[in-house]
Amino acid sequence: MADATTTITAPADQPAVRVEGRQRPSTRSRGPYEWTLIVLSALFAIIAFWFVGSIFFKSLPAFHQQGLSLVTGVGWNPTDGTTPSHYGLLTMIIGTVETSGIAIVFAVIIGTGTSLAINFFLPARLRTIVATMVELLAAIPSVVYGIWGILVLAPWVLNTFGPWLSSLPGGTAVFGTTLAGKSLLLAAIVLAVMILPTYVAISREVIGAVPHELVEASLSLGATKWQTLWKTVLPTGRIGLFGATSLALGRAFGETIAVSLLAGGVVQTNYHPLAEGTSLAAFIANQFGEAQGSDQIPALFAAGFILMLMSFGMSLLSTRLVARQRKAAMAS
Amino acid sequence: MTDLLSPIDSEVRAHVRERAEATRARRQAVSSIMTGLCWASIAVAAVPLVMILVELFSKGWSYITTSSFYTQLPQAPTLFAQNQLGGISNSLVGSLVLIVYACIAAVPIGIGIGVYLAEHDTKPAAVLRTVTATMIGAPSILMGLFAYSVIVIQFGVGFSILAGSFGLAVLMLPLIASTTELSVRNVPHTLREAGLALGARPSTTSLRIVIPAALTGIVTGCILAISRAVGETAVVYLVIGGTASAITWKPLDFGNSLPSTIYGDVQSSYSSQHDQAWGIALFLVLVIFVLSLAARIWSARKQKVRR
Repeated sequence: MADATTTITAPADQPAVRVEGRQRPSTRSRGPYEWTLIVLSALFAIIAFWFVGSIFFKSLPAFHQQGLSLVTGVGWNPTDGTTPSHYGLLTMIIGTVETSGIAIVFAVIIGTGTSLAINFFLPARLRTIVATMVELLAAIPSVVYGIWGILVLAPWVLNTFGPWLSSLPGGTAVFGTTLAGKSLLLAAIVLAVMILPTYVAISREVIGAVPHELVEASLSLGATKWQTLWKTVLPTGRIGLFGATSLALGRAFGETIAVSLLAGGVVQTNYHPLAEGTSLAAFIANQFGEAQGSDQIPALFAAGFILMLMSFGMSLLSTRLVARQRKAAMAS
Repeated sequence: MTDLLSPIDSEVRAHVRERAEATRARRQAVSSIMTGLCWASIAVAAVPLVMILVELFSKGWSYITTSSFYTQLPQAPTLFAQNQLGGISNSLVGSLVLIVYACIAAVPIGIGIGVYLAEHDTKPAAVLRTVTATMIGAPSILMGLFAYSVIVIQFGVGFSILAGSFGLAVLMLPLIASTTELSVRNVPHTLREAGLALGARPSTTSLRIVIPAALTGIVTGCILAISRAVGETAVVYLVIGGTASAITWKPLDFGNSLPSTIYGDVQSSYSSQHDQAWGIALFLVLVIFVLSLAARIWSARKQKVRR
């Protein structure tokens, strides 16, 4: 349908208008309407390039001053200007990857199970209610998950869960003597809770779109319920599931508030999940207020630039992979 | 045939059947365990989300049902008056003003981009489509940095409501553009062709036929973008100044927004401010629920009417 080409004959004094697949109007008839659209789109293109450019150029002084040690170094030591200050972003980079990595593993495992259960085990009437609820939950702002983490979860870990872990035989050896209320793992868990509705909202639709004939064929060949889900439903929906994963991962990457409240905000080299740490986005938010007027600002912009590279790289990768898989699926 | 009935053969068959039974039993066992795990994952997913909602309502309800919560200015608690709080009128107005300014910029531009993307399949449009998709995925704190470097520094405006609105507008633009593109593309081909066949110019066809037909989707997209912006913390927090304690609508003043007030309250050492954070959070969540439910119900009803 999309590739259909229709030729419509206009009144005799006008040339025929060719309506191609995506309804491209003839270039000859650019009136004020077309120009308005073009100008608005150009404006957006300018904003987008300005966006990338301003973050890049603002971070240049920091890269210029420190070179690659800005990325590979650890520490955050601003000075009053008499001696050169030293900034290292490795803690934040690893913290970002670690928290969102742990979160996405939890979210994908639990989220896929939830989507399968919603689509195949829940009665049809409940299904729509649950689907609406999931989408509403996906719209809850992240600061709400953040306050739940800091006001409920962190005190619980500090006062109840941590002491219990330490009281286990060998607990102190594995978890240390005291479990801080804040940690990378706590941030990761809240991130997982936060991105779960986003993941389920999409994966539920993806799994619901798997043709019923495939499921019935598999079951009629004698496959068990789980074999059908594992070998038919999930492989069929893998492109969409991959898309859902990368979207959720992108949300975890860029999450600022929850991580800034929960990870502890400490710049150090201990990357144990139970240690305190920080992420790129969270560190920018924590530090930005105090950084005014100092050379911390370019270093924070450098953190933003790295975050931007990570985010853009990931969305590029995911569109590539989705396109390739879609092509492979078409071919087979 | 007679061979099959020999005693050795029946032994083999019994063995094969036994093996098959065993395999089947094992597969059934695996299947029931895994389906059980699927059920369990629903439970695991639901527990924290339900806990959050329960906490929100139990701690926040008394705040959002008090009128002074909306009408009074905040008063920071002190050591001697730990429970004095006041209300959130300044951040309530602040959030409203931020969203209105952001919408004035983002809605027309976003719709324009979306319509352009839907009507053009040229190379620049393809590039712009990629840019839009990438911007949607970009972490929101980057919009805050962008607003800082452009509005606060480059234009010399300083920390202000305007800077916050700018950041929110950049956040909303690609969202509005992509939902607009989708809903314009979903308008049946035949409508546009009918318009053109009647001799209407392509621009008239778009403005009078296609865009009105896509309007439900466009408005829904705008509402969802607004509900995203209402809860956005990082963008606004970086550039708004954050210390305004008066009600203001002027774009160049320092401002305050509901999410950044939550963020500040949570980091305070007074438990009364923690409780107030729950109240603001509940208010935000309810506003967002109402917005997205309204968008959903409205678009569903419109679609039903069209069919």
